[in-house]
Amino acid sequence: MIARCLAGVLLGFTLAAALPALLLGVLPDGGAWLIPLLILFFPLWTAFMAGAYAARSGTRAWLALGGANAAAFLALWLLPH
Amino acid sequence: MKAATIRRFQTVHTWTGLLAGFALFVAFYAGALTVFHDEIAAWQNPPWRAAPDARVSVNALIESLLAHHPETRDDFGIVLPGGGNGAPYAFWQGRDGARFATASQMGAPASDAGSGSLADFVYALHDSLGLPVVGLYLMGIVSVLYGLALVSGFLIHLPQLLGDLFALRAGRNLKRLWQDAHNAIGVLSLPFHVIFALTGAIFCLFAATLLALNTVSFDGKLSGLFAQAVATAPATKANGTTSVMLSPDQLIARARVAALVKGVSSFDPDYLHFVHYGDRNAVAEVRGLSQHTLGTYGTVALSARDGGVLAAHVGNGQDANGISWSALYALHFGSFGGNTVRWLYFVLGLAGAFLFYSGNLLWVESRRKRRHADQPLRTRVMARATVGVCIGTCLGISGAFGAALACAHSGIDAAMVQRATCYGLFFIACAWAFARPAARAATELLGATAVLTIAVAVADLLANASHWMQPWTPATRAVLAVDLTGIALGLVFARLARAALRRGRDGDPNSVWALPAPIASPTD
Repeated sequence: MIARCLAGVLLGFTLAAALPALLLGVLPDGGAWLIPLLILFFPLWTAFMAGAYAARSGTRAWLALGGANAAAFLALWLLPH
Repeated sequence: MKAATIRRFQTVHTWTGLLAGFALFVAFYAGALTVFHDEIAAWQNPPWRAAPDARVSVNALIESLLAHHPETRDDFGIVLPGGGNGAPYAFWQGRDGARFATASQMGAPASDAGSGSLADFVYALHDSLGLPVVGLYLMGIVSVLYGLALVSGFLIHLPQLLGDLFALRAGRNLKRLWQDAHNAIGVLSLPFHVIFALTGAIFCLFAATLLALNTVSFDGKLSGLFAQAVATAPATKANGTTSVMLSPDQLIARARVAALVKGVSSFDPDYLHFVHYGDRNAVAEVRGLSQHTLGTYGTVALSARDGGVLAAHVGNGQDANGISWSALYALHFGSFGGNTVRWLYFVLGLAGAFLFYSGNLLWVESRRKRRHADQPLRTRVMARATVGVCIGTCLGISGAFGAALACAHSGIDAAMVQRATCYGLFFIACAWAFARPAARAATELLGATAVLTIAVAVADLLANASHWMQPWTPATRAVLAVDLTGIALGLVFARLARAALRRGRDGDPNSVWALPAPIASPTD
């Protein structure tokens, strides 16, 4: 339980932080949608925390959220600045 | 969903509920009252007992501000009194943090807003339990836990959601009844609760979140982007030549005209912001509340020299950023649909407080030992904490109303008195709940809250007796409405007290809620 909890709180936080930044870069004229994207942060974080509790085991929660984080931050890094 | 997953969500729901429930009770009870913030302000300071400085014009306030603190002319705000006869006050960034002052406080500005205002004190209880700095972060974390509790509660209940939605099984199984009531209120007001979990977290943790996201994923660009997204006036530099400024009333009138052009049906200003006051390039922003628009808070930026409109972020002049930012406030404060929506928010707010109260009762009930009069320590502690904190909050807030009323009549500043009364009664209630059997404490504290609430309302009705005969103004109606609502709430507390007493006397004796059996008289 504690492994799932930590996975959701920590990795869920970074993933929820990465997605709005990613959308900001991908959307045409992303700046015009900055506030709606920022509002998205808390629902995303909550969803990832809930998702971590639904995972089959703590290890799987860490692996899934870790993988998603890696992908999101890689995409963020590849995004043209 | 598998049974093991549901059990896990059950654990999550229990723990988040335990950690956040008490704070959420305070937030919802005080928040329900805050819906009528302006009416409470009018109740404390009706036209016939106006606050000191209420007669000071905004123009005189600005002159007094610039005479005492000339350095503020580059950036200051004026908060206009809402409703009643409060005093307008100035707001600026001093060398060590924000400063607030009404016209007569300019010599010694305060570091928090409206400390003598009852409505602002209830608001502070709502958003931060009245604790400076830490309270806001605490309530932000509570909001996140609350969101998690909503999701997990919904998922646990999902399998029987539709079948049980309107079931309220009043029977011998009391736990079933409480569970049904908890589920029905939780599901039916879910959209309302989602709004608060989301906006509560955003309002309380916004600065911290912005800082974190700025470093984690936005590569340091977020602060600039955010300032740009919520800016309501073009950036300007001081020109250096002094100019005569239009009066605040003229600026407000021009802002209203500019706002109505943008398709809204009303524009009630509540805040003015000035940049480079007295300079040729001075800018005034007028923020106001509008109806018939998604973004209820709109801002018009004008030249403070000639009143020319520089930008109008109102109605259909708002972009996606402005509308969603403004909609967060509208949804949180229920300011988007007139009095109907405000009463709805009031009722749903009290229902929300009941949701957290009943959640604790369920926790106690599901750990009850059915075959012993003695109950385990943890349920006894939980029952007492629930009684002390929840009823203590209601008692404390009613006490703050009484204290503010007494101060208004004797001409003392209410700030310290209402705070001390509120916290004092709260801690006495908590101590009482732990000193007495839970059932007795509940009855007595509910009874005390009922008596105090009704007494304050009736005292105010009688004290204002002569004014009910005078021609009525909106403020008179507000004062009367607050008194009548107080009496209605008092009657509800009285009914709850009677119910607690009945439960203690006639209910299942094997429970924390049973009155201890009278000690048998010694027989010879």
